Amino acid sequence: MTKLLSKIAKRSPWLYRINAGSCNGCDVELATTACIPRYDVERLGCKYCGSPKHADIVLITGPLTARVREKVLRLYEEIPDPKVTVAIGVCPISGGVFRDSYAITGPIDNYIPVDVNVPGCPPRPQAIIDGIIEAIKIWETRL
Amino acid sequence: MTDIGHLIFNLLIFPGGLFAIVLGLLLMGIDRKIVARFQRRVGPPLYQPFIDLVKLTRKEIIVPETAHLQAFRLAPLLGFAGMIVAVILIPIAGVYQGLEFSGDLLVLLYLLSLPAIALMIGGSASSSPFGAVGFSREMVMMMSYELPLLLVLLTVALKVGLKTGGIATFSLSKIVGFQLENGALLFDYTMLPALVAFLIFIPGTMGVVPFDIPEAETEIVEGPILEYSGSWLALFKLTNALKMVVVLGLAVALFFPTPLGENTMLNLLWYFLKYLILLVISITIVRTSTGRIRIDQAFKFYLKYPTALALISLVLTLVKG
Repeated sequence: MTKLLSKIAKRSPWLYRINAGSCNGCDVELATTACIPRYDVERLGCKYCGSPKHADIVLITGPLTARVREKVLRLYEEIPDPKVTVAIGVCPISGGVFRDSYAITGPIDNYIPVDVNVPGCPPRPQAIIDGIIEAIKIWETRL
Repeated sequence: MTDIGHLIFNLLIFPGGLFAIVLGLLLMGIDRKIVARFQRRVGPPLYQPFIDLVKLTRKEIIVPETAHLQAFRLAPLLGFAGMIVAVILIPIAGVYQGLEFSGDLLVLLYLLSLPAIALMIGGSASSSPFGAVGFSREMVMMMSYELPLLLVLLTVALKVGLKTGGIATFSLSKIVGFQLENGALLFDYTMLPALVAFLIFIPGTMGVVPFDIPEAETEIVEGPILEYSGSWLALFKLTNALKMVVVLGLAVALFFPTPLGENTMLNLLWYFLKYLILLVISITIVRTSTGRIRIDQAFKFYLKYPTALALISLVLTLVKG
């Protein structure tokens, strides 16, 4: 029964974006091309939610700057389990063009567990959707 | 004894409870699908709202430390209970009579404000500043759309009351019965402004764009329901689905309850079709073609246009009888 329910439930992953000091490139990809208007992740049952309390899949962009670190960690704590983290872009992995900067405290997986990495600067919309599908597979095992 | 059995059946299975929940969720799914098609997307499947509910029951419930626990927990239940009672007051012509007591329209009017009140209580009990902002906006929205609603209900009640020789009839079953005998109010030109006013009222009370100001997710991150998660959030979603059935059902009962024939199944399908048309006109098209307005604009809008339209109908009714 539980298994059946999680099989059903995995078709409704709600997305939540966290901008951890990103240059906004990946966010534009997420907000305007990859997700809702053009490539339509809503067909997978996804929906952008404004509140972290409603989220299932967290999309993190940016290299985790020193100023935003505490807030990102707090936001991450506020997301109810089971949750999956997807790091979008090359910044969460290595810092990207901002690496070696004094203001960067990344990589992000020193602080929070990252399940899927989608590299690119910014990644292509298809790659982002692929990352979300990978995340849904991981999420199903936790439901 | 059978009366109570009947009532419980009505409350839990048909037309309230199970039937209304399935109908409401299906309508929400259809709405999402049509919106997606309007934007040239594929869109989620029609049964997406059901999946969302199943998902929400499997999530953790987080309660903020500073929240008022009792009020925070009871608020979603309050709205849900109000709506599940409200559904059985709505007659489905040719299928279900409704609870026949005089004044059910007034009871419905009060019950209709319960989900908004539940949102207010939940928002203010959550101790979140966004919840507080959502609370005040919800309050303003309620004050602005209640007046046109009241005027529309009064107009219909007066119309039916004057025609049947009394003063005003605040009984939904009598209003439906009158229309079944004398033709739907939809075809009466004096009632057209009131109908338009009611159509404008629907997106306001359902909280969809352009009137989703209390729950604006891009500015106050969903306001009152910000702190809710898991099955408590699911209750809010259920309340919304039921409210859709109630509000659209009220519109059908007030203006166009005419059944198709004697066949119950056919009547039910006809009723569903009427719902669908109303949904597309008053929610889906409005939602896709507009952007969110400010709270003061919404307040002025509601107190100007729908109120004026409803007043025109009221005056016409009083003059023409």
